[in-house]
Amino acid sequence: MIPVLKSIKERIVSAFNAADGVMRGKAVETIEYEVGELDNIFAILVLGAFIGIPSPPIHVTMALLPEMEKEMEIMLEKVSTAHDPLGDLFSVLGID
Amino acid sequence: MKPQLLFYIGKGGVGKSTTSAITAVHLSRNSGDILLVSMDPAHNQRDIFQQDFSEKARQVNDYLAVKEVNVDYWIEKYLKDTEKTIKRTYSYESAFNLQNYFNVLQFSPGLEEYALLLAFENIIHTFEDKDVIIFDMAPTALTLRFFSLPFITLIWLEELLKLRSQIYAKKEIISKIKIGRSQIEQDKVKNKLEILIRTYGHLGDHFKSGAARISLVLNSDKLSFSEAFRIKQKLKEIGIHIESVIVNKSESRVIPDEIRKEFIDQKIALFPFSAKDILGYQAINEYLDENSEIFTDLREKSNGQKANLLESR
Repeated sequence: MIPVLKSIKERIVSAFNAADGVMRGKAVETIEYEVGELDNIFAILVLGAFIGIPSPPIHVTMALLPEMEKEMEIMLEKVSTAHDPLGDLFSVLGID
Repeated sequence: MKPQLLFYIGKGGVGKSTTSAITAVHLSRNSGDILLVSMDPAHNQRDIFQQDFSEKARQVNDYLAVKEVNVDYWIEKYLKDTEKTIKRTYSYESAFNLQNYFNVLQFSPGLEEYALLLAFENIIHTFEDKDVIIFDMAPTALTLRFFSLPFITLIWLEELLKLRSQIYAKKEIISKIKIGRSQIEQDKVKNKLEILIRTYGHLGDHFKSGAARISLVLNSDKLSFSEAFRIKQKLKEIGIHIESVIVNKSESRVIPDEIRKEFIDQKIALFPFSAKDILGYQAINEYLDENSEIFTDLREKSNGQKANLLESR
């Protein structure tokens, strides 16, 4: 194949892949937000005692705690930035 | 063969420790290797046998050992083990921040019954070679919480697993849309929840299986009867059956009608009142010699199961 045509083909493929990635990203944006919220609900349910919310029997929290460092960090972060939860939601849904 | 587990429960002061000690000595004279475990923080067994007991089982005769469960020891061990695991798995900064939480954790409600459950689990694994393990339980409130703990824990775990599975399924969808295939890490929390559900299910089964036999001790007075009735109701709610009822300190040597009517499905045994204190191994043996009909009656009323337990060596 002529190098110019090959280059054009590669650019088209690359542009298509980029567009595909963007569209796929857009498609799951809402569901990703939902998963993030579910993750947070799960963290609060298990680790609520750390932020003053009643939680399961303490031995359940303790048994799961070693596996939940990431969730713990997210939960604590969410607690400190929880002043504007609606703004967070509106930006995901594209509402101005 | 796994040991039979006998639990002595009832209102404070009705004589759980005395009746369980008498039964333990009787069985050690007749039915193989016996372990008597004091789960009551008041630890009356040391007063009854007039000997010091500890976490380490101590032989009272060739076929009977007695052990006291030290709740504080089990709470401390549990907290230390958990702290070690956290420090091993968390980054330094996070573990350091959790330190303050651990300092107050020892005062958390629910830890006492959990410590008892840990001790119970340890005992049934350590003493698998025993023929019978007798548990002299704590007064009603703590005992009921101990028996319900595996079931309450299971309710939580199952709900958490449902939510976690929902999250995992959505993450799988996201991965499939984004990269065209399911490529997400194995969920350690979900795996842990599944392991915990198996563990607590197994523990709960111990209380419901035929291996665990519960004796409810009461006196002839109205108060202990009322509490015994409530214990029966509470245990029924979580699917635990009371096998026998022991009317202790009976002066009339007759089973009161209201007890007979209320506990129609249970075997009922009478432990006659003793004018002198039953203190010391010798005194227990004398009581047994004077009241040998207690266990004969119980054997006759049973349908074979208890008879196996009480067969002569």
